[in-house]
Amino acid sequence: MNRSSGLLSPRGQVLMFAALALLAFTAFPFAWMASTALKPSREIFVTPPTLWPTHVTLDNLSRLFAETRFLTYFRNSLTVSFATVGLTLLVSVPAAYGLTRFRFHGRETVAGLILFTYMFAPIMIIIPFYVAMRFLGLANTHLGLILAYTAFCLPFSLWLLRTFFQSIPLEIEEAARIDGSRLQAVIHVVLPLALPGVVATGTFTFILAWNDYIFARVLLSADEMKTLPVGIADLYNASVVDWGMIMAAGVLVIAPVAAVFVFIQRFLVAGWGSGGVKG
Amino acid sequence: MPSANSELFRLPEAAVGILLILPAILLLLSLTLYPVLYGVWISFFNKHSFFPQQTFIGFDNYISLLRDPEFWASVWRGTVYALSTIALQIILGVAAALLLNEVFPGRNILRGIVIFPYVVPTVVAVIIWKWLLNSQFGLVNYLIEKAGLVDQPISFMGKDWIMVSLIIVSVWQFFPFVVIGVLARLQTIPDELYDAAKVDGGNAWQRFVYVTLPQLKSVLFVIVLLRSIWMFTKFDTPWLMIQGGGAETYIRTLPIYTYMRTFAYYEAGLGSAMAVVMFLALAGAAVLYFRIWRREENL
Repeated sequence: MNRSSGLLSPRGQVLMFAALALLAFTAFPFAWMASTALKPSREIFVTPPTLWPTHVTLDNLSRLFAETRFLTYFRNSLTVSFATVGLTLLVSVPAAYGLTRFRFHGRETVAGLILFTYMFAPIMIIIPFYVAMRFLGLANTHLGLILAYTAFCLPFSLWLLRTFFQSIPLEIEEAARIDGSRLQAVIHVVLPLALPGVVATGTFTFILAWNDYIFARVLLSADEMKTLPVGIADLYNASVVDWGMIMAAGVLVIAPVAAVFVFIQRFLVAGWGSGGVKG
Repeated sequence: MPSANSELFRLPEAAVGILLILPAILLLLSLTLYPVLYGVWISFFNKHSFFPQQTFIGFDNYISLLRDPEFWASVWRGTVYALSTIALQIILGVAAALLLNEVFPGRNILRGIVIFPYVVPTVVAVIIWKWLLNSQFGLVNYLIEKAGLVDQPISFMGKDWIMVSLIIVSVWQFFPFVVIGVLARLQTIPDELYDAAKVDGGNAWQRFVYVTLPQLKSVLFVIVLLRSIWMFTKFDTPWLMIQGGGAETYIRTLPIYTYMRTFAYYEAGLGSAMAVVMFLALAGAAVLYFRIWRREENL
């Protein structure tokens, strides 16, 4: 197939037009959010709307910090997301290694079971989960939420890490074991090779925990415990919508996701192929 | 540490493997499988969501559910929502993937940007679109009015339009998933197939239908399956769209109704019954889907 069509050829023009349309559809809503976040209140409601703020201001941001608990929500989200990543990796890295390196009865059953859990959407497990968490006294705690996210992230992180460990040739590991113990071989040879997979898995887990709404909505009731998605949804519902402030909050919420995203973009396709994304 | 580990590694191979997996299995059993089974159990009880009292009522929750017109209405709304968003996601996703598989300046940056709506929190996607679609100050209303398409602003969050708005937001949010999957597959289609088609005199559309589409069949099979499971059970997007508007009954899909029964009417038993029905319906549909697919393959 000849893919070297010039920019000025009819084909090239159609391509560029389609690319611009796709760019506008996906990126413009974000640009509009950022633009609104930087506008003074008066300018937000003028007709015709200004594409770029004529008076750039950080008023919305300072109002967000001064009048709401945004920073508390932000800290809660960071705590819960990083704890989820830590716990998920702590449990799933050894398990994925075990699944790929040892033969034992029922190994394939375990792998199949992991895929089966894909059938359980949050809305299906949230009710019994909530009842159980109340019973255990973990409702309205961050620990309860971390456990919920870990349970939810485990199947795909196991699946994803399993494919990464499978791609590391056994021979390399065996060669390393001639010089030392198995543990040393794992630490010095296998884990460094699996690092991209571990990073990708950790990132997917982070994004899932950072973005979740339903578990946090159901499990947390005290305002000072809330994570960002719930906190922002409640800000939106509280009274007359302060659009400038809400948009500023939106920009700050996606900033860490954007940073992480740029970092892992090249892993995304690999991750998708093995079922790494969910939702 | 070293001594404990050398001890560990003297165990039979299989035992070490099982030990490594055990924490993950225990967590999965206690935090996923147990809640699911417990959910099935409480679906046979008249159970309050907060208080511990419960009375066994057998299949009464299921019977009252099947007699509840609102249940059937929510199933219908959920089906409309899921089918329309899945169809639009697939069309838009495949088209975008075909475009991003071509060579043009800025392609790699655009590949990254296109995926972005999929990784931001739903609450952000929803507030962005609520602002764009705002009936008084929204940019969309300004533009379509200026273009002369409408005489007065459309109330996108009103009862006539809320489902359309919800579908727009959902397609925008989830079509990147289709793009990622299809693009990955497109990159593995050998160029020779297209060259052969060109020799046979096929135009671009024919090449798409006879060369590209058959190659995409297997990846589309998985995408449709996953997107169906996730769109039929989608909670946060419709729920957050509902907030702050009076038209909530017009997008009350099954997951929303399940949530309301449990956390607004405090009927955990009935809510669980709805979750069980949702699961059974999805599992049944998945089995049927696999059967039909296999028959297609044989033809």
